[in-house]
Amino acid sequence: MRKTLMLSAVSGVITSLFLFGQVMAADLKIGIMVPTTGSEATSGKDMENAIKLAAMEINESGGVLGMKIDTMTGDDACDPQQGTAAATKLVSADVAAVVGGYCSGATLPTLKIYGDANVPFVIAAANSTKLIDANMGNAYQINSTGFDQTATAVALFEKQGAEKIAVIHQGDGYSEDLAKLTRDKWTEMGKEVVAYEVVNKGEQDHSALVTRIKSKAPDAVFWTAYYADGALLIKQLRQAGYRNLIAVGDGSNSPKLLEIAGKAAEGVYCFSNPTVDYLPAAKDFHANYKKTFDQEPDAYAALAYDGMKLMADAIERAGSTDQDAIIKALGETTSFTGIAGPVSFTDKNTLARSNFVTLIAKDGKWTLSE
Amino acid sequence: MTLQDILLQQLANGLILGSFYALVALGYTMVYGIIKLLNFAHGDLYMIGAFLGFLVLSVLSPLIGDSWVGIMCSMVLSMIAVGLLGVLIQRIAYQPMLSAPRLSILITALAVSMILSNGVLAFTDGEYLAFSTDLGYEGLEFGNVFITYTQMVLVGAAALLMSALYLFVHRTMYGKAMRAIAIDKDACRLMGIHVNRIIALTFFIGTSLAASAGIMAGAYYGSIHFFMGFVIGLKAFTAAVIGGIGSIPGAMLGGLLLGLLESFGTQIPFIGTEWKDVFSFGILILLLVFKPTGILGRTEIERM
Amino acid sequence: MDRLDSAAPGNGDVAGTGGPLRWLESQKNRLIVLTFLAGLAMFLPLISNNYVLEVMTNVWFYVMLCLGLNIVVGYAGLLDLGYAAFFAVGAYTTGILTSHFGVNFWLTIPAAVLFSICAGVIIGGPTLRLRSDYLAIVTLGFGEIVRIIARNLEITGGASGLIGIEKPSLFGFEISQISHFYYVFLLLACLACFVSYRLQHSRLGRAWQYVREDEDAAEAMGIDRVAIKLYAYVIGAIFGGVAGCFFAAKMTAISPETFMFQQSVLILLGVVLGGMGKIPGVIIGAFALVLFPEVFRDLGSSRILVFAIVMLVIMLYRPEGIWPEKKT
Repeated sequence: MRKTLMLSAVSGVITSLFLFGQVMAADLKIGIMVPTTGSEATSGKDMENAIKLAAMEINESGGVLGMKIDTMTGDDACDPQQGTAAATKLVSADVAAVVGGYCSGATLPTLKIYGDANVPFVIAAANSTKLIDANMGNAYQINSTGFDQTATAVALFEKQGAEKIAVIHQGDGYSEDLAKLTRDKWTEMGKEVVAYEVVNKGEQDHSALVTRIKSKAPDAVFWTAYYADGALLIKQLRQAGYRNLIAVGDGSNSPKLLEIAGKAAEGVYCFSNPTVDYLPAAKDFHANYKKTFDQEPDAYAALAYDGMKLMADAIERAGSTDQDAIIKALGETTSFTGIAGPVSFTDKNTLARSNFVTLIAKDGKWTLSE
Repeated sequence: MTLQDILLQQLANGLILGSFYALVALGYTMVYGIIKLLNFAHGDLYMIGAFLGFLVLSVLSPLIGDSWVGIMCSMVLSMIAVGLLGVLIQRIAYQPMLSAPRLSILITALAVSMILSNGVLAFTDGEYLAFSTDLGYEGLEFGNVFITYTQMVLVGAAALLMSALYLFVHRTMYGKAMRAIAIDKDACRLMGIHVNRIIALTFFIGTSLAASAGIMAGAYYGSIHFFMGFVIGLKAFTAAVIGGIGSIPGAMLGGLLLGLLESFGTQIPFIGTEWKDVFSFGILILLLVFKPTGILGRTEIERM
Repeated sequence: MDRLDSAAPGNGDVAGTGGPLRWLESQKNRLIVLTFLAGLAMFLPLISNNYVLEVMTNVWFYVMLCLGLNIVVGYAGLLDLGYAAFFAVGAYTTGILTSHFGVNFWLTIPAAVLFSICAGVIIGGPTLRLRSDYLAIVTLGFGEIVRIIARNLEITGGASGLIGIEKPSLFGFEISQISHFYYVFLLLACLACFVSYRLQHSRLGRAWQYVREDEDAAEAMGIDRVAIKLYAYVIGAIFGGVAGCFFAAKMTAISPETFMFQQSVLILLGVVLGGMGKIPGVIIGAFALVLFPEVFRDLGSSRILVFAIVMLVIMLYRPEGIWPEKKT
């Protein structure tokens, strides 16, 4: 019992320090929710940088409604549990609005928290179709969803004259979602999905799977998950003598894929969200980003930057920081054009047009196809 | 492809995968045989081997290129380095725990495993590194079955290492001492065998075999990652148990069997790739429950 | 900034010769501190913001999970590397029953307890006869099997998991705010402490200790060691299952990624960090687990590395835990 008491005392000290560590601030406070630790930290920090850059630019040109933007980051660590903690942290700090959202899995449970608090939320990158159902009306997705990617993918397969396709995912929410949508759409069109497979994360040897796929002789193989395992699969497919089309989803849009797969990746197609490399309007942004942070912007920087600019635009149009007014203004967006293109929303709060582009690997680099 | 072709190709796939499993399983079985420790860190030493090999190769490649010569040189160097690391770990973390309760040493091993993998995570920021080599895709075609030269060399190297180990354990005095310690440590001490030295030697050999598998996997698959040791560590342990833990031929047999089971498993309807791991772990659990001594293991009277 | 470090010298003092914490040695002073802390825990929602509440709710949640695993690892001395499986069983039971079948949340708790018991018996029954290191691997494999099943089945929502799990209500009062969940989890953690304490000092608790210290002697004294271990396993499973139910209700969305091997290791860390088998130690472990990444945001990615090093040092220098039990 004595020890219990001493321990409680120690834990009390820790806890109270933790409690009093919370401080408040003023101005127009905008929350950033991205993973800044964990496996996706690189992409998350990149988005955080881009949002901060946008805020800095807005502040330099006079701020929003005369107020300076003050950002505050909540780290979701790409994990649902930490995501809820991050969202509550932002909501308790009374942020006027939130921009961010990279991992769909971590963003999903936060929608309820932002929804209950009626906080306007621009989801910059996360694009699982599950987010649409969980949206309580206050969140807007400025990245095209899995539906659009499926449409782009299916169009490519058709154009290339494929009849039988194989779809492979990695057993996580994002890649399974995309794989299912593609499978259903392809069968709906009266064509055949000869293999629908899953690869376990972290496994290196896919030879058994490759043999199985090869024996089904598909005209196209679609990998819906991430670059690391995708590179291994591509390499082993080519090694085993599979010569037909291979396409990968936006999770595999990384130069690392080409580096790991080497010459096996030549001619692989990739569906990608608009990244700065392929956006003519992003030249200034690219230069500013490099100057400010001394590094190259990553895949989702452009969308994150647009998200912040869109939010500021909506607050200006709303004319106040009233949450309902901002949400209404976001929904009525018609004339906003970001560096990734014009933004307007469907009645489900998703981006009205598809922003997917098709890339092809050429000489060890991703280049626009067509 | 006809069914026969598919099965033959899966046989080849299974043998290649199985030789990796066997190399890693050997370390598990040797360490377990001699000090009855389930070395959770073994899979991570495989990973460290791949990373060290990568480092050495990137230093050496301007001199000797990154083809077979370069890979072999960096393999030998990283095997020695990782073997020494294994001995160090044994001395620091396991030696003081040998008389402690079983639970304590298991947790210690788990802590070592986590330190290794998370240490590499901190160093590499969780990035996948591209292990680029000069190995080509040329190979021989047997009917519809295609095997690259790289794959043949890999299986050959694994077989060579395993037969060297077998000869070492069965034909030398050191090997005899190892086998003796596995049976009765205290009697060995009385007979004048340097028990601690032999245990260190066992760790050295076991971990350097894992390292050799690590660097071969890195070069063959083309990427390395801090978490790459987890899955194979688990699979290799399964292989060691299938063969009978503590038995060296058992580990080789178990590795090949597991590789084949997994390859053919993906061809079985309703298992496919989705249920493949449930299938492997299910076999492990059933085996442990009904025949915990494995195929070649000795029956133990001792109860723990 | 070294909020957690401030605990470290204190720990040494408790075990060592005194110091700043000497003040606490008097019964009266300790009672004051304890009352203060209990009051703080009770009235926290009145004085703090939602973020603090969210984090503290998480702390109480892990206290419950760690105390559950502590029964298996600390009391009975069995290494379980797949504890997240029981947590998953509870969470999915609640998730499936409420979202697919519209069952009331409170009715899913007995169902989850039942399923956890079944899972505990199915995996424990045949394997508890095995050597303890085999058991560790079997539980690890079992944890993976449960996760893969959840990932592959249609009813569990596949890899995306289940969303839109209803928040529970009690006599017409809906538990939806974070402050409500704070009290729910505080209550659960207290209940877990109480049950753990009673178990430790029961006949069963003494039998666990006996089996843990010397299995053969215990059996010679007429203790059925397999049955005793199975009790520990099943009770631990029930803790995990119930915690899982409330987890599902609080998160409203669950997916297989929450129940990976890393989750099991995290819970095990919580048990070992503060000293296995001791309720206050386990509570401290759970606190460290949750507060560390919130306080040391910059060290976030090396959290497990820091914990693992501490764990190794503890095992090497204080195998009995930071606060060794007094042998009487």
